[in-house]
Amino acid sequence: MKRREVLRLGAGALAAGALGGCGRRRSGEVLLRYWTGWTGHELQVQRDLIEEFNRSHPGIRVKILCVAGSYQKVPIAIAGGDTPDVCSAVWADQLYGYAARGALTPLDDYLARWGRSLDEWMPGVRRMLRYNGRTFALSTTANSTFIAYNRRIFAECGLDPDRPPQTIAELEEAAEKTTLRDARGNYLRYGLRPGGLQIWARVFGGDWYNEETGAITADHPGNIAALAWLQRWFSRYDIRKMETFEAGFGSLEASTGAFYTGKTAMWQTGEWAGENIRRYAPHLDWGYFPLPPPPGGRKNCVQLGGSVFVMPAACRHKDEAFEFLSWICGHYASRRFCSEIHNIPPLIEAAKAPEFQRIPLMRDAIRLAGGQNAFGPAPVAVWPMYQREIQRAEDRAIHGGGDPAALLREVQQRVQRELEEAKRYAVY
Amino acid sequence: MRAPRWKIWAGHVTLLALSAAALLPFLWMLGTSLKADAEVFSPRLQFFPARPVWENYPRALAYIPFARYALNTLLIAALSAVGVTLASSLVAYSFSRLKWPGRDAVFFLLLSTLMLPAQVTMLPVFVVFKTLGWVGTFRPLIVPAFFGSAFFIFLLRQFFMTIPQELSDAARMDGASELDIWRRVMLPLSRPALTTVALFTFMGAWNDFLGPLMYLNDDTMYTLSLGLQQFVTQHGAQWNLLMAASVVMTLPIILLWFLGQRTFVQGVTLTGVKG
Amino acid sequence: MRSTERRRNLRALAAGLAFASPWLIGFAIFTAYPICASLYYSFTRYDTLSTPHWVGLQNYMRLLTEDELFWKSLRNTLFMVVFGLPASLVAGLALALLLNMKLRGMALYRTVFYIPSIVPTVASAVLWMWLLNPQIGLINRLLALAGVQGPGWLTDPAWAKPALILMGLWGVGGSMIIYLAGLQDVPRELYEAAEIDGAGGMAKFRHVTIPMLSPVIFFNLVMGLIGTFQYFTQVYVMTQGGPQDATLFYALHLFNRAFTDLQFGYASAMAWILFAITVLATALVFRTSARWVYYPGEMRQ
Repeated sequence: MKRREVLRLGAGALAAGALGGCGRRRSGEVLLRYWTGWTGHELQVQRDLIEEFNRSHPGIRVKILCVAGSYQKVPIAIAGGDTPDVCSAVWADQLYGYAARGALTPLDDYLARWGRSLDEWMPGVRRMLRYNGRTFALSTTANSTFIAYNRRIFAECGLDPDRPPQTIAELEEAAEKTTLRDARGNYLRYGLRPGGLQIWARVFGGDWYNEETGAITADHPGNIAALAWLQRWFSRYDIRKMETFEAGFGSLEASTGAFYTGKTAMWQTGEWAGENIRRYAPHLDWGYFPLPPPPGGRKNCVQLGGSVFVMPAACRHKDEAFEFLSWICGHYASRRFCSEIHNIPPLIEAAKAPEFQRIPLMRDAIRLAGGQNAFGPAPVAVWPMYQREIQRAEDRAIHGGGDPAALLREVQQRVQRELEEAKRYAVY
Repeated sequence: MRAPRWKIWAGHVTLLALSAAALLPFLWMLGTSLKADAEVFSPRLQFFPARPVWENYPRALAYIPFARYALNTLLIAALSAVGVTLASSLVAYSFSRLKWPGRDAVFFLLLSTLMLPAQVTMLPVFVVFKTLGWVGTFRPLIVPAFFGSAFFIFLLRQFFMTIPQELSDAARMDGASELDIWRRVMLPLSRPALTTVALFTFMGAWNDFLGPLMYLNDDTMYTLSLGLQQFVTQHGAQWNLLMAASVVMTLPIILLWFLGQRTFVQGVTLTGVKG
Repeated sequence: MRSTERRRNLRALAAGLAFASPWLIGFAIFTAYPICASLYYSFTRYDTLSTPHWVGLQNYMRLLTEDELFWKSLRNTLFMVVFGLPASLVAGLALALLLNMKLRGMALYRTVFYIPSIVPTVASAVLWMWLLNPQIGLINRLLALAGVQGPGWLTDPAWAKPALILMGLWGVGGSMIIYLAGLQDVPRELYEAAEIDGAGGMAKFRHVTIPMLSPVIFFNLVMGLIGTFQYFTQVYVMTQGGPQDATLFYALHLFNRAFTDLQFGYASAMAWILFAITVLATALVFRTSARWVYYPGEMRQ
């Protein structure tokens, strides 16, 4: 407690000078600046939670600011030394870049002192929040990956709606059977557009990084197999025709969404689909299944990501900031936030709450996200660039017909070189 | 004015046809802003909904503290417009009507400041404002305007250079100072250009997103374009509300321009009288 | 004699500097440091979060020899300079000439044509994604009426840049207004004098309008050049560089390096190469300007 009082005094002395226009605060209170990238309903729920925190924590006043819509604000604020004290306007994808450069406060000591442990989080999420042996972020939301399917279409096409595909071969069969073309070969409906080499590589047993050797593994045989599979898929279904057809799709935020209107039989998505369907297509008869693996591949793969909470290195009131961080990423707040915005809580205890467990979709999503095959981004400082290169390789393979192995070898060389260089200058 | 009749007709027809193309986006915005949530992505080509949902407007405006954001935006935009027009015209006078050693080199330096992409100067600029202690205030968004903008200095220089030298000479004979010539000859004669500068600056500041985002750290100081961004929620956007807000945000500028262009006509008559 | 001349020179310098002082002071306070800083960063490895490390010419060498995206983005950008810029310059001028006719309701027309430049970028980007939609977009529907199967526009690498140029034409309202202001400034007497000399419409256009407008054309050309080299917002919102890097423009690549990868030193080097290219191109335009830009205000010099 003493420490906090000292901090409070310090903060009081600073208030007039360093804090300037933004540091107006009532006496005896520590003002925490919190930036978030959430907007709309999510932002409102965050606001409500923060009001609750402020009421129950008299010595601390958290001020929330929505900084959505730009990549520039956060890095420039950090670089310019004008950081918030807590920030959730950071994607998991950006986390390691910031961490490696020393821009974030390692949280392990704080976790220990506040009696928290990273073990409260799901294993995949736990891995995602750590970089190079330290914890740099906490999270309050998680997500899951699966394929939703239209049961009526399955039945019409001679597929058993109660036994969705469990292997890649079955998925291919289901896609083929549910695809419908007109006389000129244009789509009236297609089976599935599988999305994202990043996650499908995991399904095919691939990997993006080897933590033991510290090497990039972009040309892992599993990754190549996944890209080759995607390439075959899109050449078989003619990507251009698919895109022309997709151009007529409505947004999945409205009742005209392609999956809701039966323009696609399957939809690769996440647990948030449940809420969308409830809202925009309440009468849709649908089911879901995890990404099906090839022989020897990985079952139940999930792509983890989303916003994470960090404490910039230049945070001025670290103890208070962590108290807030620990609260907003605690069981109570996570449970409330997630149930309001139809996300799944990454905290194992919070995820056991009845409001999640009584919905079968949520229960399954939680099981998948908490499973061993839930993967976050590869924990390397150069991940944003790596991710862009993966997407480019995917784009070039499926649109331009490049050789998957050659494309991924190119990614391998480019990213490995960038990583070597980054390591030389890394702080952590 | 005795333009042939066919020419007038041809003019109207061409203009009307092109107007349709130009108006398309605005009509689309307007139409979308009146659609029900489900109608927004209807694949049918329909500009206006059968039953307009006027509630979108109050819904959109309730989303953000609209009046406050509008006031903040107005303050920034109006002061910027005044500052840029005033300062740029002074500086442009120096680069167009005064001969001084090194002028052309300095002018090229001025132009070259536009050639470095803002992405790389953004950070050091931020550091400058941070050093001045201005981050978190309106100052970074307003004060620089009073030092002129390279773009508009160049624009006004071009206009000032079209004004016949004889006019300045005549004024000089009458014992006018350079400041008098700037104020009494240049400014009145370049009203169309000055209007353009003021309007462009106002509009630029009105729509600016990155500047306010970068320097404002308090959402009571936020501007309309930042508010607009808040509409774009995580899983896609509520386009009807977004468009309703966009319409409200755009209308003042349309009005301003409609009224402002009157000075275009006045500018011509003045030239006519003096020349 | 000599000293009067020097005194006059000094006075001219003083007056010139006095009038230019707002910009000069602003430059010293707000602009000079950022420019120097970015030049310095371009010789460093700087990730914005830790201190810069001097690496000499490494960033430049790597850009020119190893970064294939650098060349690709440069080629894409030059495409816009060569094809997009002239198209929008001509379209803006043509539109301004139309709007300078003496017709009833001109105030309304002018307002209408300016609207596309006012609509917020988010709104117009969404609109254009819809207009260019290969299947349900208005443009392809109109083409279909004429019996033409429209291209995939933004989904087709060959058509993505032309689609952006088309979109640019629709937004010429800004340069149109500048032309219009210039046209309004042309003294009517010049036309009357030309008419007395028996000049027809075309002759008046060539010998009165174009020369009198040349300073403004020059302005739009130079600013268009600078702006096209930094073409960014539309692709950032609409395509993110795809399909197959067809719309990966220089400024987008630079942005990715600066803000996604936090390679600020590298991005600064990119910026300075672009700066050099732009300066060169602009200087070229300036050198030719003596031949075709007519400044009545400098007649006596």
